[in-house]
Amino acid sequence: MMAGCASARVKRPRWAARSDGDRESSGGQPQGGRPQSSEPLWRALAVFRFASLGYAALLAGVLNSARYSRPGWAWAALAVMAAWTVITTVAYARPERRTPPLLSADLAVSVGLLLSTYALQYPSAMRAGVMPVTATWMAGSVLAWAIRYGSGAGAVAALILGGCDLWMYHRAVPVVLNGLVLLLLAGVIVGHLARLAAEVEAERQHAVQVEAASRERERLARDIHDSVLQVLALVQRRGAEAGGEAAEFGQMAGQLEASLRTLVGPGVGGGLSAAEPAPTSSKSADLRALLLPAQSERVTVAVPAQAVLLERGAAEELAAAVRAALDNVRRHCGGRAQAWVLVEDEPGQVTVTIRDNGPGIPGGRLAEAAASGRLGVSHSICGRLRDLGGSAVIRSVPGEGTEVELRLPRRTTVPVVAS
Amino acid sequence: MAQGEPIRVMVVDDHPMWRDAVARDLTEAGYEVVATPADGAQALRVAGSARPDVVVLDLQLPDMSGVEVTQGLRAAHPGAHVLVLSASGEQQDVLDAVKAGATGYLLKSAVREEFLDAVRRTADGDAVFTPGLAALVLGEFRRLATAPAGDGAETPKLTERETEILRMVATGMSYKQIATRLVLSHRTVQNHVQNTLNRLQLHNRVELVRYAIEHGLADTDPPGTMRDGPK
Repeated sequence: MMAGCASARVKRPRWAARSDGDRESSGGQPQGGRPQSSEPLWRALAVFRFASLGYAALLAGVLNSARYSRPGWAWAALAVMAAWTVITTVAYARPERRTPPLLSADLAVSVGLLLSTYALQYPSAMRAGVMPVTATWMAGSVLAWAIRYGSGAGAVAALILGGCDLWMYHRAVPVVLNGLVLLLLAGVIVGHLARLAAEVEAERQHAVQVEAASRERERLARDIHDSVLQVLALVQRRGAEAGGEAAEFGQMAGQLEASLRTLVGPGVGGGLSAAEPAPTSSKSADLRALLLPAQSERVTVAVPAQAVLLERGAAEELAAAVRAALDNVRRHCGGRAQAWVLVEDEPGQVTVTIRDNGPGIPGGRLAEAAASGRLGVSHSICGRLRDLGGSAVIRSVPGEGTEVELRLPRRTTVPVVAS
Repeated sequence: MAQGEPIRVMVVDDHPMWRDAVARDLTEAGYEVVATPADGAQALRVAGSARPDVVVLDLQLPDMSGVEVTQGLRAAHPGAHVLVLSASGEQQDVLDAVKAGATGYLLKSAVREEFLDAVRRTADGDAVFTPGLAALVLGEFRRLATAPAGDGAETPKLTERETEILRMVATGMSYKQIATRLVLSHRTVQNHVQNTLNRLQLHNRVELVRYAIEHGLADTDPPGTMRDGPK
């Protein structure tokens, strides 16, 4: 099924093949070919019919039996109702059988049974507004039309039945109007519900297809991406071996490879496994996504496999501090020094370590610089971390490079973010 | 691997040019390239007759993931050490491959000397770590420490020393530099890193078996036949 969805040639979901949607009847059916979405409604209708059948039997057979001039025939009518309920419930169980002919037959039977009351009840009973023999059962066909063809069809069916009702009980109009209004309401609301369910189902299906297609695209992109990277790596190798001008090309290829590799990496929508997508909201950010772009030939960024989530402001400040540290490396160690950035995520704090293999800072120079007001390192790194409620430690051994360790506790208090 | 015999290497990669380049480099350096399968299934089939000491394995294969191939190889041919290569850097699949039993990892764009060095170390069974991989492993131990513990299962923990060493590897220090800084021997540093990896791999194997039992998969099949590790 995944392949089918992914190829986006398939416009309809696989189970739409046998649905009513294949028959586009004239008269705009609001419910498309998605019978599955209305299944619960059909089941509810079946329950309603049986319940109303019981109620009608109770009314006609017991409570109002005195109002019937032909009680025997009334029972016959009830028997027809029962049989018809069973027939329709079985028929409606399969989506392809919910056809206009069947629905019309349902309506016709309901009308017929309703009108039979004329022959079954005493005129005085009808004047008094006693419930017809079908009681609430006749709403079943209105609901069936509504579920199948929407509010419009439901309203029409309600009007037809209500009209017959009105014709029969024209002496007891208030009571009948009640019934008509209720029927209309039921038809319209249920029709609306059915269409809503169908729309939601369609949207969900669409979303599933889109996601499958995009996942397929992502996989393809990763494949292509990897192929390009490999070729560049090869060119670099061959160039290095051949020497001369080829070596220059090789170097360029190497640089391209390094930057392309970081372009589609974790946190930038690329290669993370689907199990760990970085859930960023407007409040939080994945620190990895902010730091990985700093990768280059000279800078290696090492991160854990899961997202490192921090408040957006804090994450950006921390990333700025890291960038400042990397700038320092470039400025004080020249273009040849290499730097490594390590991101560690512990439950209580986030630690970022920046190490370089430059000449290191002679002892005392740092304190000297801070004291004399050349605040470079002091402000852009230490100051930032202090403002965030964290700490920055700079260690350096001349000849062995410098290490900057930034710690940021996961706080419960709001940080004072320097604006 | 008898003394004096060249080390047998199998190169698994679906990119023909790349495969040939690597095979050529290895042959020139004195290794014996015994097979060059182009996909995972072929690799598992051929490994039996080729009996490699080292398997250089691309993680992106057309039919199976490199992780599955690693599992299969470790199950069926425990004598072969796996060096996984990836073009796009250290991501979840690299971590999974290492957990599944790979001895080391290298980026495809590593220079020839680095690559040959890695193959030699893999043949000796020494772990080959990049800074990125060290960070992934650190993160994995931390994740295991905070994840809800399985019934009775011991979550593997890092000692202080091991954490320290892994952090140094992750910030680009060589074993020699680490040894100097911590006043240890080179071999000791190597052992620490190796132990870390072994514990992670053991934990993964235990998890796989438990997963199989829980889900009623046949417990007579070797772990390599399963498609997924525990999530």
